[in-house]
Amino acid sequence: MQSTPGVEIPPFVEPTLGSPTVAYSEWRLIWRSFRQDKLALIGLAIITIFILGAIFAPLLTPYPEQGRGDPNILEKFKPPSVTHPLGTDYLGRDVLARVLYGGRSSLSMGFLVVIIAVLIGVPLGAIAGYLGGWVDEIIMRTTDVFMAFPSLLLALAIASALGAGFTNTMIAIAVTWWPWYTRLVRSQTLSLRERFFIEAARSIGLPGHKIILTHVLPNVMTPVWVQATLDLGSAILISAALNFVGLGVQPPAADWGNMVSQGRLYFIERPWFAGAAGVAIFLTVLAFNFIGDALRDAADPYLRRT
Amino acid sequence: MRTANPVSRWLAVVLLIALLASCAPPATPTQAPAQPVQTEAPAATEAPAATEAPAATEAPAATEPPSSAEVPRSKVFVYAHPTTFPDLNPATSYSNDLVVMANCYEGLTFYNPPGSAEILAPKLAVSWESNPETTEWTFKLRQGVKFHDGEPFNAEALKYSIEKTKELAVGAAYIWDPVQEIQVVDEYTVKFNLSYAAPLDLIASANYAAWIFSPKAYEEKGADWFNEGHCAGTGPYTIESYERGSRLVMGRFADYWGGWKEGQFEKVVFELIEDPVVLQQKIESGEADFTYQVAPDNLPALRNNPDLVVYSNPSFQNLVGLLNTVKPPLDNKLVRQALSYSFPYEQFIQGVMGERATQSYGPVPVGMWGQSKDVPQYHYDLEKAKSLLTEAGYPDGGFKLLMTFATGDQDEQQVGELWKAELAKLGIELEIQGLNWEAQWDLGKSDPQKAQDIFVMYWWPDLISPYSFLRSMFHSEDETLFNLAYYKNPQFDELIDQANEISGSDREKATQMFIEAQKMLVDDAVSLFFYDLANIHIARADVKGFVDNPAYPHVVFVYSLTR
Amino acid sequence: MQRWEYILKRLFLAIVVLFSVSLITFFIARVLPSDPAAAWVGPRPTQEQIAKATQTLGLDQPLYIQYWRYLTSLLHGDLGVSIKSRQPILTELKTYLPATLELVIASMIIGELIGIPLGVLSGAWKGGALDNFSRILAVACVSLPTFFLGLLLQLIFFARLKLLPISGRISNEIAINYPVTPITGFYTVDTLVAGNWPAFQDALLHLILPAITLAAFGLGLSIRMTRASIIETLNEKYILAARVAGLPRRTILFVLALKNAIMPTLNVVGLSFVYSLTGSILVEVIFSWPGLGQYLTNAVLSLDFPVIVSVTLIVTVFYVVVNLVLDLIQAAIDPRVALS
Repeated sequence: MQSTPGVEIPPFVEPTLGSPTVAYSEWRLIWRSFRQDKLALIGLAIITIFILGAIFAPLLTPYPEQGRGDPNILEKFKPPSVTHPLGTDYLGRDVLARVLYGGRSSLSMGFLVVIIAVLIGVPLGAIAGYLGGWVDEIIMRTTDVFMAFPSLLLALAIASALGAGFTNTMIAIAVTWWPWYTRLVRSQTLSLRERFFIEAARSIGLPGHKIILTHVLPNVMTPVWVQATLDLGSAILISAALNFVGLGVQPPAADWGNMVSQGRLYFIERPWFAGAAGVAIFLTVLAFNFIGDALRDAADPYLRRT
Repeated sequence: MRTANPVSRWLAVVLLIALLASCAPPATPTQAPAQPVQTEAPAATEAPAATEAPAATEAPAATEPPSSAEVPRSKVFVYAHPTTFPDLNPATSYSNDLVVMANCYEGLTFYNPPGSAEILAPKLAVSWESNPETTEWTFKLRQGVKFHDGEPFNAEALKYSIEKTKELAVGAAYIWDPVQEIQVVDEYTVKFNLSYAAPLDLIASANYAAWIFSPKAYEEKGADWFNEGHCAGTGPYTIESYERGSRLVMGRFADYWGGWKEGQFEKVVFELIEDPVVLQQKIESGEADFTYQVAPDNLPALRNNPDLVVYSNPSFQNLVGLLNTVKPPLDNKLVRQALSYSFPYEQFIQGVMGERATQSYGPVPVGMWGQSKDVPQYHYDLEKAKSLLTEAGYPDGGFKLLMTFATGDQDEQQVGELWKAELAKLGIELEIQGLNWEAQWDLGKSDPQKAQDIFVMYWWPDLISPYSFLRSMFHSEDETLFNLAYYKNPQFDELIDQANEISGSDREKATQMFIEAQKMLVDDAVSLFFYDLANIHIARADVKGFVDNPAYPHVVFVYSLTR
Repeated sequence: MQRWEYILKRLFLAIVVLFSVSLITFFIARVLPSDPAAAWVGPRPTQEQIAKATQTLGLDQPLYIQYWRYLTSLLHGDLGVSIKSRQPILTELKTYLPATLELVIASMIIGELIGIPLGVLSGAWKGGALDNFSRILAVACVSLPTFFLGLLLQLIFFARLKLLPISGRISNEIAINYPVTPITGFYTVDTLVAGNWPAFQDALLHLILPAITLAAFGLGLSIRMTRASIIETLNEKYILAARVAGLPRRTILFVLALKNAIMPTLNVVGLSFVYSLTGSILVEVIFSWPGLGQYLTNAVLSLDFPVIVSVTLIVTVFYVVVNLVLDLIQAAIDPRVALS
């Protein structure tokens, strides 16, 4: 819920030497180091399982219609058993089916939030860093304002203004998220700007937008990807929090956050139903953190270029 | 990462723990902070002990010598209340603060619980009468009554209270709209002249805007003083302290006109707890004596608990689903009737609501005058619904409907979830949209052609009369307020207006007319009448004397209780 | 000279940020689909009452005039009146704000007292058993949804073990027999000052579960950040030199390295404060803690716009002030910051 994009940004040492574009082999080297990290591989496995589970949910559960929300009142509050490995919920729906279908909402919300934030934040950061001057001032002061807002609060306000729902909640979170990428990319761009190959491009008369697209952006994306991976976990957490307070997807659609919120009423006597959703959130976020950490460690040498 | 091995061993432990969902995951985060818990352990074991009812009287004594002011737990009535108290001003209060107000203020008359011989009982008035047209009312007042600030209660004080309430015009002040003039005949006689006929004896028993308060206190201390946690009424208890958002404590008013007897409670505590889980824990552990709004599916367990009593009584609250009667396809009566046949009333009430609800007979809830089993009910019948749809030209459905409800209301949400599945069988797609009440209502008040198709809400009476239901929700309005079905039927309007006018003089005939009006609504299928809600209250078994009175929802008149 | 310029610039920016935040929240809150005048009157307003209230509240004025009025009264210290309760927001905040701050500070004490030392030790003995443990602890802490952790703690410590209270700030018995006289609004402080021992114990017990729940995220954060900065510092040349010179490891770690890591540590504290402040929203709802979070949640649910704006503004003020103070301290310690 406390979104911390940007907090984990390592102190990137500005590049002073090195190749003008990120070598393709750099990612191969990162992967080589990454796969040494057992935690990261476990994280990757967890995420893969959840993603496959969400995609193939209709094939994996015998109760796809319950996963989508159809009630089955006669079977309500059944504890975990062979027919219902995770039990059933307050409307008698199979909890495993709900968790699989809930993953569709929770995971896609996380990914979409980060993608939108990157799409907004990165170009703005590159423009601010490359152009400098008053454009830079305006963009950076805007990020100051957005970063001064407590993100959960802003998302709450926006989501309640737009109305509850998947898209609105996603937009609300993304709005609080982009400034972190703008800052990150700006600082990278600033140091690139004075570099030889950019000046060379400028001197042969290449227009600004082309330089940004072909020379600046490719060189600043590695830290962005690392940050994005770390942010996926936080995005899922904050979207779960908004779903928990009832602002996310609408019933009968499932989401891990609203499953915990609905199961909370019965948690002390019947913990399986909120518990399953809570553990699903925990494992997913944990996995993204493992992957993100490992990715950062692996990419560190290339980011620093020492 | 050369250190991957030990790390993954840790990981294995953590994952294992995480999988044991019910008790273990916090092991990691709590491990470190466990120390403060341990150092506090001796105190910790004592505190819950003090909350268990039998031990309660001894527990404080064991730790501290009882000070002279110490009140034993058995003399304290604790009401774990699920909402906060926004406004404690007796002239404007119009919310859940009712549970407090009803213990420190009184009205002229009192609405008896259902099943009583008389509808009304005297309170601050001892008798009253009206002219045959019910446009002039005379009330004789009780003598020797004092306000909490020591001021005497008399005709002047009464006149002031009602006029102040009318002047502020906030909250439920409109209930006094018919009153044109209040005459002080003598110190204990008051005459009301009305601008049109109205049942003023009923109005005076209202649960909001009818409290009588000390003019001196209101003039000298002002409205904010009340909200800092003070009161100046004539009731048996008076507010002693108020921690906003967490707790309100009341003590006895020694000069109460009813006098005090052995066994009555000395203090009343309202503990404000919004979380149903916590509410349930409080009542089970005996920290609280009374509560409501625990999770419905946990009720059977509470019933089996010998320390608790579960009271289940009709409330004057019901759930309706107002249909947009001006926007296609629901402007077609046949389609509305089809919808009325498509909801699985029995299944929903049995499976979800249990003892908390019974299917409604029209808009007036069970237990209130004007309610009748002659008003027909719709029953779940998809065949019938399908043939009606065919007749209306929608044999395979093929349209989409938007249902709005108040976010966070589990029951309303489940109505939607269940109904969606049924309507899908008719080829109708139901979109369920949870909104804040404010936003839901705002959409409802906008252009009906762009508004929702189905507006689900609870209705409760501001005045204990069928008119409160029929007029507010179904009387034609120039500008939409609560007629969120946008229903316009002059014949219906006339019928209920007439019935209301005679309800002070000829209640018998008024009742018949109100029933007639309800039959019209049911035939027109203006709304779905899902269910009448039962009030479920849970009390500790040793608290005696509770009578549920739906006219004063969730109010406990602590004066009538003993332990 | 340049340092003063820097400070002035930062102050000016802080004011600009606050102004923009007030502007944005005001307009977000005012475009919310709701009818504040109707809400002001009560649950069953009549058309006449709504019309009257619209005028009283000035809601018939254009939006920019409404904002201007709001801003001018804000500068006079008047936060306006809640639509729902018709009470001055300042009065309501007097009880809610201290409750939240007490919770936030308690959670920071837990988080930092454990997190920072753990971070230092695990950074110093990188790869050791303690390091592995604390890294897992840290990741778990930042991965657990706050609301879920709160539920788990309630389940374990209240429902199963019956060790700790589940909600509120103080028990009923204490409230009646040993009433707390509010001085600071921090119950633990007020009771201690007054020598009200039973109430102090009770208040402390009530604080434990919500504070732990709230502390988890900050704990994870501070372990990670402290660890990272210690590792970085230990690689600095002067530390290597000290080691070569044969200084004892303890001195190197806690005198030389930690001194250099003070700024990152302060950053950790500042960040934790800021996260706890927003995190408290969910924690307060779960533990019925009568603070800003509950106040705000109720305001959001009933679209009580003056309250939404005021609370957002107050939290943002804390945000901005904390960041400003951190920046200024940093500038004082390290003049390079002001120059860059």
